[in-house]
Amino acid sequence: MTAPTPQDFTEATRWRRRPRPTFAWTAQVVTGVLLLVLLTVHMVAQHFLVPEGLRGYAQVVAWLRNPVVFTLEALLLVAVSWHAMAGVHAIMLDLGLRGRTERIVAAVLGYVMVATIVYGLWLLYMIAFRSPHP
Amino acid sequence: MRRPQPHWGEATKPRRVSRWLDPRGRHLGTLAFILNRLTALGLVAYLYLHLAILGTLLRGPQAWDSLVELFRRPLFLALDVLLIAGLAFHGLNGLRMALVGSGLLVNRHKALLAAAGILTGLVTLVAAVRIFG
Repeated sequence: MTAPTPQDFTEATRWRRRPRPTFAWTAQVVTGVLLLVLLTVHMVAQHFLVPEGLRGYAQVVAWLRNPVVFTLEALLLVAVSWHAMAGVHAIMLDLGLRGRTERIVAAVLGYVMVATIVYGLWLLYMIAFRSPHP
Repeated sequence: MRRPQPHWGEATKPRRVSRWLDPRGRHLGTLAFILNRLTALGLVAYLYLHLAILGTLLRGPQAWDSLVELFRRPLFLALDVLLIAGLAFHGLNGLRMALVGSGLLVNRHKALLAAAGILTGLVTLVAAVRIFG
């Protein structure tokens, strides 16, 4: 089999020869796009809609008790946790992490992601619905 | 013949993170990639700091409202602007990387980077005016 010449790599063949995207890459792109929308809503709501710039306690509780806001914040938490840990994993791979060490680091990052989501959801629930200081 | 990759814990020493900070002989796209990685690490650190700070809400209105008073000081407001700049650059440059990585607009990657830079500047400017205004 002969090596391909530069002429073989036209735009069309280059597209066809592209490796298929991995699940990790696709998930990173999907969560990234989702975060662009959710973080814009989050930042605008936190900084630009409140007269003094930051919400006081009563305003935060009232804001999070809105079911739409609660759902969006929960979705933001899941997306950001996945995107962050998958991103750290990608950086580790870039730095040459391979083999058994890579598998251990990937597992630890997975546990950290789950712990972050569980803690964040618990925090959201407690603030919104179990606040002892209404 | 291609040399095998060094493996952490298995073969030779890993690549140094400090190489990321060396701008010599880099293409613009590579610099943007490195900046994306650095903003990513900063944003991950901020995520956990943010979650820890939000825990103050469980301690009641007095604890939270005094913290909000602290965060209304100019230094913290400036850090807010820096955060928004980091988020905007990471998001917009990340979108560019996703498009180029998916084989879309590959020939326009420099224009996309310029657009990401301009939009980041605009978003940061609007945020600074709104936060300090």
